[in-house]
Amino acid sequence: MEIEEMLENLFKRMEEVPDYEKFFQCIQCGVCGGSCPYSTGTVFTPRRMVLAIRAGIVNEVIESFSHWLCSSCFTCSLRCPSRVPITDAVIPALRELSLLQGNPPEELASALISIARYGNPFKKSPRKRDDWTKEVEFEVPLMAKKKSAEVMFLTGCYGAYHSRCRKITKSLAKIMHMIGTDFAILGNEERCIGDLARLNGEFGLFEELAEKNIRTFSKYSFSKIVTHDAHAYNALIREYTKFGFGKEVLHHTQFLHKNLERLKEMFNSLDYTVTYHDSCYVGRRNGIYEEPREVIRSIPKLKFVEMKRNRENALCCGGGSGIWLDSVIKERVKYRPAESRVKEAFSVGADILVTACPLDVPMFEDALKVTDLEGKLEIMDISELVLNAIEG
Amino acid sequence: MKVCVLLRLVPDLVEELEISENEVVPFQYIPNERDEHAIEEAIVLKEKLKDVTLDVVGIADPDSADEIDEGLGFAAAKGADKLYKVILNRQTFSRVEIAKALADFLNDRGYSLILTGVQAIDSFAGSLGGALARFLNLPYIGGAVELNLNEKLYVKKELEGGISAEYRLPLPAVVGVLSAERPLSFVPFTKLRQAMKRAEIEEVELEVPKISGVELVRYETPPEPDVLMLEGDVEEVADRIVEVLRDISVI
Amino acid sequence: MKVLVVGETVNGEVQNITYELVSCAKKLGDYVTLIMSDADVSSIDGRVIKVNAGEPNPVYYKIVERVIELEKPDLIVFGNTSIGVDLSSQLSTNFPIATRVYNVKSSKNLKEVEVRSMAYGGKVVVVLKLRLPAIVVINAGSYDAGEGMGKASVEELELKYFDIDDVEFLRYIKPEVEDVDISKADVVVSVGRGIGDEANIELAEKLANLLDGVVAGSRPIVDQGWLPKTRQVGKSGKTVTGKLYIALGISGATEHTEGIKAKNVIAVNTDKSAPIFRISRFGAIADVTELLPVLIDKIREIREK
Repeated sequence: MEIEEMLENLFKRMEEVPDYEKFFQCIQCGVCGGSCPYSTGTVFTPRRMVLAIRAGIVNEVIESFSHWLCSSCFTCSLRCPSRVPITDAVIPALRELSLLQGNPPEELASALISIARYGNPFKKSPRKRDDWTKEVEFEVPLMAKKKSAEVMFLTGCYGAYHSRCRKITKSLAKIMHMIGTDFAILGNEERCIGDLARLNGEFGLFEELAEKNIRTFSKYSFSKIVTHDAHAYNALIREYTKFGFGKEVLHHTQFLHKNLERLKEMFNSLDYTVTYHDSCYVGRRNGIYEEPREVIRSIPKLKFVEMKRNRENALCCGGGSGIWLDSVIKERVKYRPAESRVKEAFSVGADILVTACPLDVPMFEDALKVTDLEGKLEIMDISELVLNAIEG
Repeated sequence: MKVCVLLRLVPDLVEELEISENEVVPFQYIPNERDEHAIEEAIVLKEKLKDVTLDVVGIADPDSADEIDEGLGFAAAKGADKLYKVILNRQTFSRVEIAKALADFLNDRGYSLILTGVQAIDSFAGSLGGALARFLNLPYIGGAVELNLNEKLYVKKELEGGISAEYRLPLPAVVGVLSAERPLSFVPFTKLRQAMKRAEIEEVELEVPKISGVELVRYETPPEPDVLMLEGDVEEVADRIVEVLRDISVI
Repeated sequence: MKVLVVGETVNGEVQNITYELVSCAKKLGDYVTLIMSDADVSSIDGRVIKVNAGEPNPVYYKIVERVIELEKPDLIVFGNTSIGVDLSSQLSTNFPIATRVYNVKSSKNLKEVEVRSMAYGGKVVVVLKLRLPAIVVINAGSYDAGEGMGKASVEELELKYFDIDDVEFLRYIKPEVEDVDISKADVVVSVGRGIGDEANIELAEKLANLLDGVVAGSRPIVDQGWLPKTRQVGKSGKTVTGKLYIALGISGATEHTEGIKAKNVIAVNTDKSAPIFRISRFGAIADVTELLPVLIDKIREIREK
């Protein structure tokens, strides 16, 4: 691709993103680079990316691989004084150029091909999406059978297929069952919601997924969606609305919070010290900070401590849109955010590090092994902690 | 130079096949991976030589006719110039009979090179490439992993045991591709959609002739394997593997 | 029944598949083996027709055709190998053919023969009846090579007025310089598609290190560029012969399992019907990306003690 064509593609894509014009207001301050967990390994920090695009040397950014060293953690975008949409526009549009050239990192390519073909990034059969329901003692209601329910529970790909994340899905389903929520799942009709495909520059696939999912949603009657998948939540409230979707969506932290009175009656005391990790797309991107804290704090006897980097300053787990770029990032950056994060949790005296995004849990559990914290610190999703308190 | 690649659909093994005595029903069809490699290698050749027109011929049955479109779309997005969709009216699984039908279609179209994937998982009665070459009276070589053109065609062919050999063929020829010399390139969805919108697919129906001699007795599910299964959850399985490693004194 | 075995040689050496084919033919009736190079054929059991044509070449199907005319066999058997498929498929326009065959039923009937073929990546057995004379293409490892060895009675055959110069053999290409020779390793940890991400190759490497072994893989992994070609196990890769082969997330199509001659095979796969379990001594249903970290920890603990 010639540079002119690259620039044309890049701007055409960026224009579609709200606040795109802020791109031109970049004051080259460097807050973004200073905030980036991967800045030590990158040639082009976001500031220098903007500069390179202005200078018409976008090809050098692409060749440097800098646009792949990003997990879409949103810290740069939030801190940017000019509000340049770095995470939603600049990085994905740059990534799309690599996709158009046909040579994204292998790992990402194979995840995207699998999403297009099977609706999940794991090359698993779409017919196995509801396999987790066989692992709970009660019958999980299916939308296809029930047709109508108060809550449609969306599991997301990780929640449906990833064996560690399935435990979170099962915990949440169990809680809904216990408190008598009228809910149902889409089961095998659900497809990848697509947020990570979008953040990786696969806009076309994202559109396709959004249209397909919205068509499926419209077959059933429900008043809100509940999901523990933070990226699904983000896409549903920010992106699916562009395709005509308008139902209420609750992240499971909000859902638990709304049902807190009922839950409190069921809580037993837990004698743990707990800290909470603000997952990027729960906290920083979508401003849900207090609900999970209130839920955790209301468990009797439990001691809650904050980490230094909390709320909008929380450190990314390194998953996000970087979940399929692990080998690319590993090659270039020595620093592993997840390792730094579990050490931080341990240093404030926590027995349990509670999170609210399915990507966090396996990322942090892996980090425990290399930091020698296994057995000293436990990682739990908030729904697992809540279920723990209920079951005593 | 005119190059043609044949693209077939094969059952997707991501989901269990339904096997009965006289039928194997897959969950869905996907493009044959070796054929995708043949397309990739043709694109490589096109980049090397410039003066190449690439036709891709998708082969489908009446019930998988729609599923081949996407495979053809990918080929167009990668740089194929002309697309054909050949729908086979057949009762057969015989590759030889299919080769005969295709030979009648491909004959006199002026192709210097016809590429096909060297194998497909659902073939058990013949292989397409060699039979096609005979019907067209052209030289054939399979197992190709690299193609170069310098007046004649130079083919790197994989033999067994990691050994390869180089061969030289006159054109026109038929070549069975094992894998392209580079990984399959990625096609983003937007590009695929544009290509599918732009692409003109010429549809052709072909009668597959009967060449008797091979008769299906039945399909069977393979017998249960004679293997000691290490049961349990991940922890237990790991423990039992450790035991095995001890028993055979690896640790 | 009279069987013509189309033998194979590479660089002047008779290939193991030839003995396996002879072993198959022996069970069916009279047999004769065709060798198309100047190789030393003395240990092939039975009659051998030698046409000194040269290195393996797909165009030698013309030689086979001529020998069929002379010998009039009921069955012609080839190996399911790179060259065997080239030759047999070019003859299939004149004879009924079955490929991926692992069993040929012996019969006195000279009209037809029943064969069993393993298709669909090893998930379906296809039983076929072929009208004779016919061609069968046999998977490596289906018959015992030892039974095909013995004493040869060799007849040299010269073919006249023969034009076979349209495909020329130029040279052998030896594999790239290897970092390790997986065929000589005692322990091989091998990965397939089930490994998921390229990043997980590292886990396999960790396990291999702990077991003093090496990492290998199936073709898709090599095609994707996650492992070098020298690490490929199977038909067009290496054959592993050591003490232990651990197959992680490998489904086990015959193209792969042909390369497994290790004494012990442990297979791990999420698909309980994966054909890899057929050639394994031990098997486990698990996701390798979950199992590996746990297994590595356990072995590391033992090693550290």
